Amino acid sequence: MQGTGGYGAGGVPSGPVQVAYICGDCGAENTLKPGDVIRCRECGYRILYKKRTKRVVQYEAR
Amino acid sequence: MSLGEAGLVNQKYALLPAFLQAKGLIRQHVSSFNHFIGSDLLKIIRAKGNERVTCDADPNFYLKYTNIYVGRPSLEEDYIQTELTPNQCRLRDQTYSAPITVDVEYTRGKEVVIRKGKNNSGAILIGRMPIMLRSDRCVLTGKSEEELARVGECPLDPGGYFVVKGTEKVILIQEQLSKNRIIIDTDSHGGIVASVTSSTHERKSKTNIVTKHGRLLLKHNAFTEDVNIVAVMRAMGVESDEEVLQLVGTEGPFATLLTPTLQHCREEGVFTRQQALDYLASKVKGGSRPPGAGPGGGGFQRRTRSRVDEAREILANVVLCHVPVVAFDYQQKVTYIAVMVRRMLYAMLDPSFIDDRDYYGNKRLELAGGLLALLFEDLFKRMNADLKRQADSSLSKANRATQFDIAKCIRTDTITFGLEHAISSGNWTIKRFRMERKGVTQVLSRLSFISAVGMMTRITSQFEKTRKVSGPRALQPSQWGMLCPADTPEGESCGLVKNLALMTHVTTDEEEGPIARLAHILGVEPATLVNQGELRERGSALVFLNGNILGVHRRPKAFVRAFREMRRRGKVGEFVSVYMQHDTVQIASDGGRVCRPLIICDKGVPRVKDEHLKLLKEGKWTFNSFLTAGLLEYLDVNEENNSLVALYESNCNPRTTHLEIEPFTILGVVAGLIPYPHHNQSPRNTYQCAMGKQAMGNVAFNQLNRMDTLLYLLCYPQRPLLTTKTIELVGFDRLGAGQNATVAVMSYSGYDIEDAIVMNRASLDRGFGRCIVLRKYGTSLKKYANRTQDRIVLPAAAAAAGNAARPGKFRILDRDGIAAAGEVLSQGEVLVNKQMPTNTRDPVTAPNALPDTFYRNAPVSWKGYSGGEKCVVDKVLLTSNDDCSCVVKVLVRHTRRPELGDKFSSRHGQKGVVGSIWSQSDMPFTERGLVPDLIMNPHGFPSRMTVGKMIELLGSKAAVCTGKFHYGTAFGEPAGLADTVDHISQELVEAGFSYSGKDFLHSGITGEALEAYIFMGPVYYQKLKHMVLDKMHARARGPRVVLTRQPTEGRSRDGGLRLGEMERDCLIGYGASMLLLERLMISSDAFEVQVCMQCGLMGYRRHDGTALCGTCKSGANMAGLRLPYAMKLLTQELQSMNIVPRLILDSQ
Repeated sequence: MQGTGGYGAGGVPSGPVQVAYICGDCGAENTLKPGDVIRCRECGYRILYKKRTKRVVQYEAR
Repeated sequence: MSLGEAGLVNQKYALLPAFLQAKGLIRQHVSSFNHFIGSDLLKIIRAKGNERVTCDADPNFYLKYTNIYVGRPSLEEDYIQTELTPNQCRLRDQTYSAPITVDVEYTRGKEVVIRKGKNNSGAILIGRMPIMLRSDRCVLTGKSEEELARVGECPLDPGGYFVVKGTEKVILIQEQLSKNRIIIDTDSHGGIVASVTSSTHERKSKTNIVTKHGRLLLKHNAFTEDVNIVAVMRAMGVESDEEVLQLVGTEGPFATLLTPTLQHCREEGVFTRQQALDYLASKVKGGSRPPGAGPGGGGFQRRTRSRVDEAREILANVVLCHVPVVAFDYQQKVTYIAVMVRRMLYAMLDPSFIDDRDYYGNKRLELAGGLLALLFEDLFKRMNADLKRQADSSLSKANRATQFDIAKCIRTDTITFGLEHAISSGNWTIKRFRMERKGVTQVLSRLSFISAVGMMTRITSQFEKTRKVSGPRALQPSQWGMLCPADTPEGESCGLVKNLALMTHVTTDEEEGPIARLAHILGVEPATLVNQGELRERGSALVFLNGNILGVHRRPKAFVRAFREMRRRGKVGEFVSVYMQHDTVQIASDGGRVCRPLIICDKGVPRVKDEHLKLLKEGKWTFNSFLTAGLLEYLDVNEENNSLVALYESNCNPRTTHLEIEPFTILGVVAGLIPYPHHNQSPRNTYQCAMGKQAMGNVAFNQLNRMDTLLYLLCYPQRPLLTTKTIELVGFDRLGAGQNATVAVMSYSGYDIEDAIVMNRASLDRGFGRCIVLRKYGTSLKKYANRTQDRIVLPAAAAAAGNAARPGKFRILDRDGIAAAGEVLSQGEVLVNKQMPTNTRDPVTAPNALPDTFYRNAPVSWKGYSGGEKCVVDKVLLTSNDDCSCVVKVLVRHTRRPELGDKFSSRHGQKGVVGSIWSQSDMPFTERGLVPDLIMNPHGFPSRMTVGKMIELLGSKAAVCTGKFHYGTAFGEPAGLADTVDHISQELVEAGFSYSGKDFLHSGITGEALEAYIFMGPVYYQKLKHMVLDKMHARARGPRVVLTRQPTEGRSRDGGLRLGEMERDCLIGYGASMLLLERLMISSDAFEVQVCMQCGLMGYRRHDGTALCGTCKSGANMAGLRLPYAMKLLTQELQSMNIVPRLILDSQ
């Protein structure tokens, strides 16, 4: 199996280091495993947002 | 301010905010939907044809619906019931819908089962109903701003639309000619025609009475040819000519006018009722089953009937089907026909009796509720037919293992998907009315807040756009106060698409029974109890209720007065209208009439007094208290014709019956944004109405939580310095779409000709016109039949590279194969690395552990803008939708500052593009150091006559000086809702400016004083969505179409620029043949072919380089030729159709 992570149709992240997501309702941090339904573990809300990138980004302000 | 007339005038405006607060901006949609849910649904399931499902196999079987409920919007996921919110549905691509449940009573075997639900819901789910936002059933209704914010909703959002599969859909208001009313018109030959479109729950039919050679004939689909109207009346039991005449009316020359018809009847040998029926029977169409059987009760009615019976049936149920015929008693229908004939005869004598089809009293508006009711009934019938079929097939079997339980057979899909599909596609197909309408719904435009609100008030008519008639497009005087005179699109749909005015309300159906009872109490005698002579007695009048004859009243004027009094006292619905028309009294309680509130006057004295307004101000009274106190009432277009409405209290005279609440309410929401529109040339206001919808600004308070495909936002929107009352009422001051720019009206350089604008670079640096463009990129992961599914992964190569430096297009992907928020994008980078299985059909052994080779890439990647524009991933959302597949949405943000060629506009239809951007040091400046943000050419004024813009500039300048917002409400000067120029000038002088708004300027380039004083001040400018970045396009080389090998078309495919037919004509005319050859062939699709000079067909070149003709089998007479590939393609396509074009070559 290639890659370190990913999703199948139910929402399937896998691999050694998982990516964290933030619940759209309660703000709790969630990690998803392969086969998981996309759902907050704390409140059951079904909309999750990705966290902001950890890399350093530089924007140009004009 | 406060320059208005003394007394009431100054305060009656206060009624308008109260009205809007009580009813909401888009009350018509919401009340129509509430009416549908509240009473139409129940009526539908209790209708004769729908109430019971029976079975042919078992006469004892039945299923009866006893009640219907629509719950709150909720969804069951994994057996957990959760409440739905509209914003959740938008984000998750779901439908904002509520369960529809029913109480039923049915037979299971021998027992009768009664099933009733508890706490306001039924026992059995039959489907899901999309819920209109802000309707009674919506979760948002009754919530405070704070609570709305908590569910992610904007408090200023008007609602009135649906959320279906994540998209916001509006059911547009449809305009049509009113049903069940007699319309007298002329046909193409100039003959008089009376037409009635009858519409009942079961049937729709159109009945015409036409004139041919002076005879009156009935024209109807059920008959093969036109039939004599007197014969029809005979068939209905009016046998003698005298009786016919008495019904129609004996006065004047009526008898003479009817003679040809009577004579024709005699010639046809129709004297008795039987003869008349025979005569009609001979003209009945088809001869088989008439369409009278009804949809529910088919099947049994196959027995043959005589044609006479058929004719009788048609007269009773098909011709003028809205007039009831009980037990073949035609009395009412005959009287109705007589009235039609009478009105035709009147029109023959005096053409002024011909009705105007465009008159707005003859129009009805169909709203979401009505349209949904039609659709729901159709789907409900389909579901019942389905159940019946199942019952038939199950119960006809002799031995059954289990007892047949019909409640278990009810499928929810028919209704759920039927409604969902109709709203999302906009195709309204209703079989029983043979109705097939396209484009009923539209996606709610979220370009700006105003475009969304404006869309909710839009009215489309059913006229074809191609028709060249001006009548339906023209502004009708009867539309005064009901429809906005300014807001209509330009071009093909001009005048056909209209908008409601600010205070217009659209009525919903009201129960007829109580109204009829009240009318009888007030002295209406039923027409059947009066002899024909009395029908036309002097001074008495026929009374109609919704187009049907109710009876006769001997003192009609007193009756109308009394009826109105009853309405003002609240004994009948507030939207019921009574009016005298010709010599009849008409009572209307049907839905779809437009009406508006007015202050009632007694002998010219308005009933609303200062004390009432004081109560309103103190919050003790609401708008409804005025209605219940009988101070205000709603008038529809027809009743307006019976009244005299004064604009201001000073215009009142003893004959005045009503007083206008506020003159600017004749304008709609969008036109209400224009300051001083009454000083502009009228088309300019129309242009602004079109442009206001394209202005960027704030869309809604929840704009940054939304995930729309495309969203334009302004970085620093402002509220206009010069506002109007409408702006405040609508909430535009909280969701602005523009900025107050200091404008100098002058010519500076040549870069401001033809409406171009010179801009100050420093202003742009400060954020003027800066906007954000948000675009959504999304995918969903599908599951396939062989248990394989799409997946999102980070490619192995990229993963190996670690976090720091990923190769090429996978640079910004996270470990999950999705881009992270905050990353800067460059061209061609992948946002979501989706992969699809290569085989989705054949069964696979282990669908969860497939090799990488099994997948092929289907990434979502970012195309990028030209010129190295930087975009940022704004937000990434993961969710699952209804079919449980994962949805990934990526929002990409791009911040833009204005550039050369971007489009701007003021609020007066004065659009222009940025012609040049200058540094501040080069811009002109005043002695105070004031430098304009933009310079506008004065040539924009004389021909356009937008005086309003000049006053806006003055007013805004005064507003800046005094620190108070100024007003420019339409027609507002007398009421003190608009500042007068005199007043503004005075303020300017006090602030040390010239009264005229002109300033003394120095040139920024030379420093010299300018020769003229410059008209300068702030004007509210809108940035329009048309931007150069989205449009600019050029190509030297690029992709070609595979088939023709010509350059592709369109910007999106990096297409070529077409040298079209007209350009070709020019080059031919000029004689530039080599240029033509180059443009049309060499630079396009030049192709080398080998032609056989012997047969004229195309050969080919062999691999050794020699040419060969395939037809002649020789290479002797071959010649090389360059021609367009399209030409080669054409000849070969022709050959395939057995046409042989031959190329005859000539040596040069």
